[in-house]
Amino acid sequence: MDLKALVEYVAKTLVNNPDAVTVNEVQKRSLTILELHVAPEDMGRVIGKEGRVANALRVVLRSAVAESGKRISLDIV
Amino acid sequence: MSEQKTIEVSAPDIESAVAKGIEELGVARDQVMIEVLEEPSRRLLGLGTRQARVRLTVIRAPSTPPPPPTAEAPSDEIIVLPSEKEGGAPKPEKAAPSERRERPERKERRPRPAKPAAATDDPEAEPAFEDEEESGTGAIPELSDDEFAVEAKAGADIVRDLLKFMGLNATVTLKKAVVEGKEPRHWILDVSGRDLGSLIGRKGETLAALQYLTRMLTSRKLGRRVYLVVDVEGYKTRREAMLRRLAQRMAEQAVQRGRTVAMEPMPPHERRIIHLTLRDHPEVTTESVGEGDKRKVTVIPRHPKP
Repeated sequence: MDLKALVEYVAKTLVNNPDAVTVNEVQKRSLTILELHVAPEDMGRVIGKEGRVANALRVVLRSAVAESGKRISLDIV
Repeated sequence: MSEQKTIEVSAPDIESAVAKGIEELGVARDQVMIEVLEEPSRRLLGLGTRQARVRLTVIRAPSTPPPPPTAEAPSDEIIVLPSEKEGGAPKPEKAAPSERRERPERKERRPRPAKPAAATDDPEAEPAFEDEEESGTGAIPELSDDEFAVEAKAGADIVRDLLKFMGLNATVTLKKAVVEGKEPRHWILDVSGRDLGSLIGRKGETLAALQYLTRMLTSRKLGRRVYLVVDVEGYKTRREAMLRRLAQRMAEQAVQRGRTVAMEPMPPHERRIIHLTLRDHPEVTTESVGEGDKRKVTVIPRHPKP
């Protein structure tokens, strides 16, 4: 399982500036925080209409860690 | 469809709930589809613990006779693409020649019986493929056979990548959907493998998200809007059939009692199936009420009894 790579993969496919995409992983006990950075003009592409892309990503991430009992959050910064 | 076996089981954790259910059904683990309805809560001191609740559906016994083969979906169109890192992938059972995606809403449009005006802002009232458009790519174009084939390959590649990142070992089977009416022709990317219950999620929530991402990424890759369906071992087809039967039962109830009947809260794509099933019902109308997770369909008789 590599959820950081998952976020990177989705973001790089959707944006116009794939080189500007970075994902930081921050671990706080059982909570994993993934911080996604994209070029300012690409924010809308990774968030999506009414946040649908970001939310779909969050649902998929949550399902991937559900069994381990861990938690994960995605911040777009 | 009465022989479709589904049970719901509760236990302190998911694993034991599944084990209990499998024993009760008397089937092997890979013969059931597991949906986690409720995650167990793990609180300190054992206060207010909630049990895990799972729904198990037997998947190996086909609940309906396979539909007759149609010109649109000859069985040689079915391509099995095993995922790369997988050894000895479970062969999907002989794929039914046509995964029939019934979409009654796409039949010739009869004039709609008067609908509550409030329903217009309901996302579930819209056909799925119009409701997920992304800006800039426009309507679904007519596709040449080559372009259509490219969609299958691109979509399957993306689903397989996503599953790999999620740490799931699975096989993606491509099926041509049987389309009705104005629905664009499209592929069903059916995922099969072990322990895919989490991939469906509560009421199909995870599966809906996976499909949305797959459509977005495939559309972006190909530079045009792509319509495709992601399913897990035929879950959607079965769930849709179940919801349609449920809708009919609720309609009967509403008419019999002459009173509005409220259904359980459901996610948008499931509410949409209910609305569409009852759209042309002569005796009832439907309307969604409530907010967020609590939003549910109500079935309203046209001729309420006093």
